[in-house]
Amino acid sequence: MSRPGQPPVRGRMEGEDAAHEAIARLMMEYVHAIDNDEIERWPQFFTDPCLYRIVSRRDYEEGRPIGVWYCDSRGMLEDRVSSLREVNVYEPHVYRHVIGPTEILARKDGLWHAQTSYMLARIMHDGDTQLFSTGRYIDAIALDGSSARLKSRIVVTDSWRYDMLIVIPI
Amino acid sequence: MSQAVAARPPRELVTWPAEGYTRVPLNVFTDPELYAWEQDRIFRGPAWSFLGLEVEIPEPGDYVTNQVGDTPVIVVRTPDGGINALVNRCVHKGSIICYHSKGRRDRRYNFVCPYHNWIYDFDGNLTSIAFEKGVQGKGGMPVDFEKSRHKLIRLRVETIRGLIFGTFSDEAPPLRDYLGPVMVEHIERTLYGKIRILGRYSQFMHNNWKLYVENSRDNYHPSLLHAFFTTFKLNRLSAEGGTRQDDRNWHHITFTKRYTDQGDAAYDSGTIRAMKEELGLKDPSLIDQWIEYPDNITNSIESIFPGFVLHQILNSLGTRQVITRGVEKCELVWTLLGFEEDTEEQTLIRVKHGNLVGPAGLVSMEDGEIGNFVQQGIRGDLDDSAILEMGGRGDGSMTTRATETSVRGFWKVYRELMDV
Repeated sequence: MSRPGQPPVRGRMEGEDAAHEAIARLMMEYVHAIDNDEIERWPQFFTDPCLYRIVSRRDYEEGRPIGVWYCDSRGMLEDRVSSLREVNVYEPHVYRHVIGPTEILARKDGLWHAQTSYMLARIMHDGDTQLFSTGRYIDAIALDGSSARLKSRIVVTDSWRYDMLIVIPI
Repeated sequence: MSQAVAARPPRELVTWPAEGYTRVPLNVFTDPELYAWEQDRIFRGPAWSFLGLEVEIPEPGDYVTNQVGDTPVIVVRTPDGGINALVNRCVHKGSIICYHSKGRRDRRYNFVCPYHNWIYDFDGNLTSIAFEKGVQGKGGMPVDFEKSRHKLIRLRVETIRGLIFGTFSDEAPPLRDYLGPVMVEHIERTLYGKIRILGRYSQFMHNNWKLYVENSRDNYHPSLLHAFFTTFKLNRLSAEGGTRQDDRNWHHITFTKRYTDQGDAAYDSGTIRAMKEELGLKDPSLIDQWIEYPDNITNSIESIFPGFVLHQILNSLGTRQVITRGVEKCELVWTLLGFEEDTEEQTLIRVKHGNLVGPAGLVSMEDGEIGNFVQQGIRGDLDDSAILEMGGRGDGSMTTRATETSVRGFWKVYRELMDV
């Protein structure tokens, strides 16, 4: 139904419906694990090895390698969890993520590539609530049967300014 | 050219305790009139402020915008390869002229104010006014209006190892004299290669700017507040290290060396929160490092008055610039660096060590909030003072990090400049 001059909406790829269903479940469970303070589950959403980065949109577009967060193994993700539970000092707070529908971009080398928008509110222990971050997840997802895991998740934050600290993953 | 237009003199705003710089009256972190004076006497006083990196403006016409305290500035590469810094405020109505964080003006080497198209050259001279002669013989500027009498305020600019500094003051000594030989040597040692920017982000803090600057000079807190390093015995006060200052106590370096940790009963008693020996890293590659410097220093924080920091945390190198955002807020702009000469493997190590610094830094994230803790704590007791007696009551270099000598140095300079 595309109009002249506009690219048509891409047709379905083979296996996309099944993949979409598994990926949608991964997206949901991922944010609920974080928001419900089950952060110990968070590393399990990744393959091992994996890649997890948080980087500003500006640095991402300029191809700069350092953002505020970089893990390339599940062990490093788990170390982040231990650190936030046992070592780091910060005012108690929780997150609330709202994610948009996932757009599947491509299937390449056995991985599904997708992007998903998010908005993230941070709620401090005194009740102060603020819009903490907006951005998108740029993911490479490995599908094993009906279960999906993140081979790579790059969190591209729209802003390059971070309020106080980021101790809980996005 | 002043912020403290309506402010009372600083001495009427602050009563410094008789103990001198071992005390800090808490209202220096909350008083808006004092904040206005700081803009005039510190940020626009005889101090050099960080303006950016030469690598950001390689070609003639390349510019970046920044701030010195509250004052917006443009930093531009001139056609002859020099660097000029101008206040980013049109003399006409006061609008900022450049509203991008960076750009290039290489077709015509000038800046055009977006409001009424007043045009300036890179030296800040007002070269053109739109409709200066009016339209069809009507309107226009008075015939005796002299454009040459109105120009953008220009800062003195000097560079060291790719770092650009500027000052508003004719009284500030040349940059290298301002820094002193100890600081110059450490900058030249740290930035030994061709600089490459690996990342940049800002950390917004809910505290007065001086609480962060104090924090950057406080070598007593890291092993206590930042438990991550202590846990892995990377930065215990018992490791060899110390505190160096310039002769005038304006600036400060704290450093530690690796492989010299002898242990210490005060830590090994297990009573200090930082000791969580049971917490091991599942992926210790996070802190794999290479000994980058022949002096074996693995961590150093160099704090240049008023608001610049050059850090080396293992192989993470970076600059930090403090930007004032009102009395009870400030912003810290981090730029992570590497060198063009780095191997891919070395870049990856710098990337991994990026996890240690910044707002998500396993080692440093607490600094983003500790100033806020102080700002919250002092609200009801602004007539009281902070205590600075760790390491004695003097200033100057010491061979220990169990000292607040450099924080006292900061307040010594602050009192001189502010006349309080």
